[in-house]
Amino acid sequence: MQLKIWHKMIIGISIPALITLTGGFFTYAYINDVKLRHGFVEIADDLRDRVLEVRRSEKNFVLHKTEEYYNYCNDGINILNRSLNGISPEIAEQVGKNDFSFLRDSLKAYSGLLIDLLGHYRQEDIFIEKVRDEGRKLEAFVKTEKHAPELSINFVLDLRRLEKDYMLFRDTASFNRMNDALSEVNSLVPSCPDCARYPEAINDLISVYNKINAMENDLLIAGRGIEDTTNRIAQSERQKVNAFFTSTQRFLMIVLILFCTLIPLFVYQTASYVVAPIKRLADITRKISEGDMTLRAPIKEHDETYTLAVSFNRMLDHLQLTRSSLEKSLELLHEKHVEVEKRASLGFLVSGVAHELNNPLNNISLTAETMKEDLQELSTEELREHIQDIISQSERAKHIIEELLDFAGTRKSTAMEKLDIINVLAESINLVANQLKVSHIHLKKDIHKTPVFIKGNQSKLEEIFVNIMVNAIHAMKESGTLSICAKPDEKEKSITVEISDTGCGIPKKYLNNIFEPFYTTKQSGLGTGLGLAVTRSLVEKHSGDIDVRSKVGEGTTFTVRFPLYTETD
Amino acid sequence: MENKLRIMIVDDEPIVGKRLKRLFEKEGFEVGTCTRGSVAIEELKRKHFDIVITDLMMGNVDGMKILEFVKTNHHVTRVIIITGFGKKETAAEAFSKGAFAFIIKPFKIDELREVVRKACAGLKAKSAS
Repeated sequence: MQLKIWHKMIIGISIPALITLTGGFFTYAYINDVKLRHGFVEIADDLRDRVLEVRRSEKNFVLHKTEEYYNYCNDGINILNRSLNGISPEIAEQVGKNDFSFLRDSLKAYSGLLIDLLGHYRQEDIFIEKVRDEGRKLEAFVKTEKHAPELSINFVLDLRRLEKDYMLFRDTASFNRMNDALSEVNSLVPSCPDCARYPEAINDLISVYNKINAMENDLLIAGRGIEDTTNRIAQSERQKVNAFFTSTQRFLMIVLILFCTLIPLFVYQTASYVVAPIKRLADITRKISEGDMTLRAPIKEHDETYTLAVSFNRMLDHLQLTRSSLEKSLELLHEKHVEVEKRASLGFLVSGVAHELNNPLNNISLTAETMKEDLQELSTEELREHIQDIISQSERAKHIIEELLDFAGTRKSTAMEKLDIINVLAESINLVANQLKVSHIHLKKDIHKTPVFIKGNQSKLEEIFVNIMVNAIHAMKESGTLSICAKPDEKEKSITVEISDTGCGIPKKYLNNIFEPFYTTKQSGLGTGLGLAVTRSLVEKHSGDIDVRSKVGEGTTFTVRFPLYTETD
Repeated sequence: MENKLRIMIVDDEPIVGKRLKRLFEKEGFEVGTCTRGSVAIEELKRKHFDIVITDLMMGNVDGMKILEFVKTNHHVTRVIIITGFGKKETAAEAFSKGAFAFIIKPFKIDELREVVRKACAGLKAKSAS
């Protein structure tokens, strides 16, 4: 993907923000849901409270059997109905439609039962009154003792006590006791219609009681059903809320974990995505700074680093161009230095050579004059000898001039070839020989006798030796000894040439700098200051090295070492 | 033969010795030649020479040493210097040490002949007195 850095940054920031936002949104939705569910719990609790209220009233009603308590029940049921009707269909849908319709139906049945029960209670009252009435009648009847002598008043009183007990307790024991007594009445007075009315009334009451009992039981079951349903609704709502809380907690946990892992990951990814091209550029810069100018910054991204890389590369191109042209100039300058130094040496050598030329010239003129004067007297043999002398002395003069011209650079070749360094050294010594003579300098040679081959350039090697020797001659001024020692080292595969003088020596503080260009201790006008710098660069061109040691007042020794020629060269 | 004047020629160039020997023998001198300074000094110790013609640059024992030797041992002997390295300072040094003449190479035979003649005249005048 080709994106600009600020695009990457925006993506890098907006995606974590989006994740956060989504997480937040879901959390908000969840909490809202939980709030809603909590509302349902309140509704369910409210319903249950009202149902309990109704049931309390029901108990009171069953206990007191009065209209007042019936009204309480009815009020409770009405309120409950209102509450039920107040619940919106959406909520009913959410909480459980079946439960609500069941509740409504149950309530309807329940209130029907209540009203039925009230009717029966009133009937019971009537029947109780009737039983009391008949009882009282029976008492009165028995008290007269004429209608039923079988029945004692005590028995009747006992029966009535049993009747009261039964009406009070309404349990099976008291019913059985009362029933036994009533059966006895029937058996005692089977054909007494007056006496029969009381048991009949009691039987009616009993049947009402039974009915009431059944109804009360139904009411209880219905009430319990309603209570259970509301309880269940409340409980399930509470459970749902709890489940919601648990899942919300879990969700929040997951969001948190995602937050803690995804966002750093994403930020890291974004950062590395942004940093990567810059890092690549930095790597390249480092490599280039280490010296590889041919390297270029990779141009991959089309972001801001693209411009940077392109500018950087352009700068490098420019730099490389400048450097190569600078190197070329430096090379040229070096050539110039070599030339300047050569001319300086040449100037020095010329004075010696000029004087040296006088000798063959003198020989020639002397011989020629002799011939001119004594032409008649000289024998043919002598004449031939004279002429031969003239010829050989002319050759000698020619040779002296040639040597100088050679050194001066008519031989321009820079080719590196296999050559005998011993021979080169001898020729170099020849070049300065006259100067040594003039300066009364004694030459001490300890040079290897057989040829030693190195790979090099004749004129450059000559210049190396001449430069060092001219330096030595300058250092010694008038008189001294120039020692030249050349010995190959077969083990090191090199040859060492040592050129020592007995001159003034070089102070230690100058020794480190003497190979630097334009560094000279000579009086101005005597040296170019390039000699040793040029010498060193020429030695290095021959893969050799140059070293100097010196002691003030004793002299200086230059050591030059070249690798020997090998077949692979 | 006894009154023949002796000339010693010292030059590391053998041609100079050969040519001058022939020249001055013809002139009637007794001529000795040397190509090395040290040999020349040995010869000078052995024999008396009236005139010494010497080169300057000849390695260890050069013309200046011969001049010094002659002037300390045989101060009558005339020393004529011939050199290719004709520097003013060298000439001055040679004269101060008692050289009779300082001739720069290449020279004409007549030039040298004239100088030798003058030297001989001086010698004859001295011996006459």
